[in-house]
Amino acid sequence: MNEIIKDELSLERTIIEAERCLYCFDAPCEKGCPINLPISKFIFFLKNKNFKGAYEVVRESHPLISIAGFVCPQEVLCQVNCTRGKIDRPINIRELHNFLTLFYTDNHNLSLPEYKYEEVAIIGGGPASLSCAFYLRVLGYKPHLFTDGELGGIPFKEISNYRLPDDAVNKDIDFIKNNLIYKLEKKRIENLDDLLKDFKAIFIGIGLEDEIELDIEGVNKSGVYMARDILRKIKKSEIPEFNERIGIIGGGNVAFEVANTIKTLFEEKEVFIIYRRGISDLKCYPEEFERAKRLGVNFYFGAIPKEVIGGKRIEGLKVCQVSLKEKGLDGRRIPKSIEKSEFIIPLTDLIIAIGQKLEEGVFPEIEKENGLIKVDENLMTNIKGVFAGGDCINGGETITRAANDGKIAALKIDEYLRRPK
Amino acid sequence: MFKLRDLSIDFLGIYLENPFILSASPSTDELEMVINGLEAGWAGAILKTTSVEENLVQLKYPMMSSFGNYSKRIFGLGNIDLISKYHIDEVEKRIKILKERYKNKLIAASIMGSKKEDWQNLVYRLKKAGVDLIECSFSCPQGSMGEAPGRMLAQSVEATEKVTRWVKEAAENTPVLIKITPQVTDIVEVAEAVKRGGADGITASNTIPSLLGIDIYTFEPYPTVFGYSSYSGLSGNAIKPITLRTISEIKRNVDIVVSGNGGAYSSRDAIEFMLVGASNVQFCTLPMVYGFRVIEELKIGLSHYLYEMGFKSPTEIIGKALEKIKTNEDLLILDRVKAKIDERKCIGCQLCFVSCRDGGHMAIEVTEDSRVPKVNEEKCVGCALCMQVCPVDAIRIYELKDNKEHCFMRR
Repeated sequence: MNEIIKDELSLERTIIEAERCLYCFDAPCEKGCPINLPISKFIFFLKNKNFKGAYEVVRESHPLISIAGFVCPQEVLCQVNCTRGKIDRPINIRELHNFLTLFYTDNHNLSLPEYKYEEVAIIGGGPASLSCAFYLRVLGYKPHLFTDGELGGIPFKEISNYRLPDDAVNKDIDFIKNNLIYKLEKKRIENLDDLLKDFKAIFIGIGLEDEIELDIEGVNKSGVYMARDILRKIKKSEIPEFNERIGIIGGGNVAFEVANTIKTLFEEKEVFIIYRRGISDLKCYPEEFERAKRLGVNFYFGAIPKEVIGGKRIEGLKVCQVSLKEKGLDGRRIPKSIEKSEFIIPLTDLIIAIGQKLEEGVFPEIEKENGLIKVDENLMTNIKGVFAGGDCINGGETITRAANDGKIAALKIDEYLRRPK
Repeated sequence: MFKLRDLSIDFLGIYLENPFILSASPSTDELEMVINGLEAGWAGAILKTTSVEENLVQLKYPMMSSFGNYSKRIFGLGNIDLISKYHIDEVEKRIKILKERYKNKLIAASIMGSKKEDWQNLVYRLKKAGVDLIECSFSCPQGSMGEAPGRMLAQSVEATEKVTRWVKEAAENTPVLIKITPQVTDIVEVAEAVKRGGADGITASNTIPSLLGIDIYTFEPYPTVFGYSSYSGLSGNAIKPITLRTISEIKRNVDIVVSGNGGAYSSRDAIEFMLVGASNVQFCTLPMVYGFRVIEELKIGLSHYLYEMGFKSPTEIIGKALEKIKTNEDLLILDRVKAKIDERKCIGCQLCFVSCRDGGHMAIEVTEDSRVPKVNEEKCVGCALCMQVCPVDAIRIYELKDNKEHCFMRR
């Protein structure tokens, strides 16, 4: 339904969609939302053509509304729970939300409380950090944000423009930067001890900067890339020179983001997703899988990469077929190689998208667990007063989930500073 | 492919192939449109209200406005229309042409005049042209003529009786219907006046005076005619409950034929009109919004209803519901009335919970473990608000009196 936004009738269509909403009590859609956006409330406003009011409802409930309006995976979150779906089909919640953020961003009524409390340090410029700053400011704190790059994190650096326009990202970032951040410093923080001298509380939202490398023979050949490197380059319009047959290893959202972006940019090139498990094991959002199919991406399921073939440059990927009979402790199927079932997929380029991890050696004083920053139920790390949230604690979830981490951290920081136990 | 039952009726001595006729409205203001309507299967048409040549008709455009939900499904249609721009000379011609062509359809005219001689002249000329029936508009909300301009004729009991007498005197054997307004203190008094005046029946009823809306940014009322507007006549499904009451109130008190008009939108609505005493049903807004083709649904719906209920003719259903309408004080006080939620149908929106909590008797409860609410029988008085708000009709009201149970539900 993205297309309707550009349609002249979008207002009428939006209203028709909003009118379908039953306005459930204690609405299930809101429970499906990681940040508990008051969905039924904003749709009720919208239905009544109270657009500015509806916008304010959304604005104060989610720090990254413009971004979420484009990329929130509604089909696995709010919309799955929509009661209307039990009558005919669920409300297209994201499109209603998107309509508001596209056409009714009116902040003239913004009324923030006076600064009441001290500065709080925030390390990182992505969704979790921005969200933490947002809510700290609303609580009366002075968010002091340190980042070594641009604000915006993954939405700004990696999500391709066709899925998430720059305008949307900038709208959210500008709103937070101009209204809610007390101080912004472009500076890399290496040592928490120094910072703890100046700040009583610190929030870490550094995300997962590094990519997991594939440990097979031949990955050093030219023509083999890392997925997020590629996405970052494409986002900066530095499009790599690909040849004719591009393989992507992985079955998550990053793999599909790369595949769909490349296929959108180069319709004539052949793009393959190579995944060691089956279709039902894919970790990407259904919407992205559907988009890939529509775009004409091809798939190899049940294929474990064994070796990158070629001379100096890649010529193919040797894979092995798998059996998926066994289930692991997490309930997911474990791919087991089948002997003598190897075959070679001829490829000219290969992109590895098998996961992300914390930046190597970051903040050694902070305790880690399973490659992520370890936090307690208050999102506090092993160091008192140091909190963390977003991808660096959850392993890479939705933007809205990261935003919610930032929000909860802000509330916990407030609790820690004002009402220490 | 499927058989349609005989839907014909006798209406004031006139044969109607089915009880559905086009009312005096924009749909009957052009000869070609009337022909199209009759060809589509309508049993007859009342041509849009006409008058004598001296009465200047100055229509104002735009004249239509509507309200409904914001998605523009029209619930009520309002117009600042007046009577036809065609005068009696043109209408006479059309009656002749139509009567020539459609011997078995009701060809009627609607008239409005001011002086006695105008009314009677209109009648004479129409009779001469061969009209089957004459309807007199005593109730156009937008423009009236005669002694009290701005006031509808049918709002005065005396004027209603007097003018009815003039018309009937001239019409003699030609049936006369008086089209009244529901906007009166006592509809029964008006109906009695019509009867005393000698008319054959009443058309109940005309559009309802209304103001369709205001543009909150320019303060202009709808429909705006260069920034200004006037009161509209409201029609459409919105006025159906008012019409049902008007018809039944007349039929319960006065022995006179009623032609139902105002708000019927479907075969079910039309059946309801007949059940409270209408002998036939006129349609205006429905064909104006969806076209003459809607007659198919009306005919087939009525046909199935008759078969399902074991009636042989539509005439048999007229007034069937009347005896069930009582005054409030005559209604029983029941031993027990309770709402019941059908757990299999409930979709868990909890609208019944919130409406009962804030607008009922705080008798519906929700728990953490289920979206399906529960009725607290101690607190429930059976007001039936929950039943109204349920989007999937999962709530029924059970009534108990002298150990007999009755279940109130919508079908």
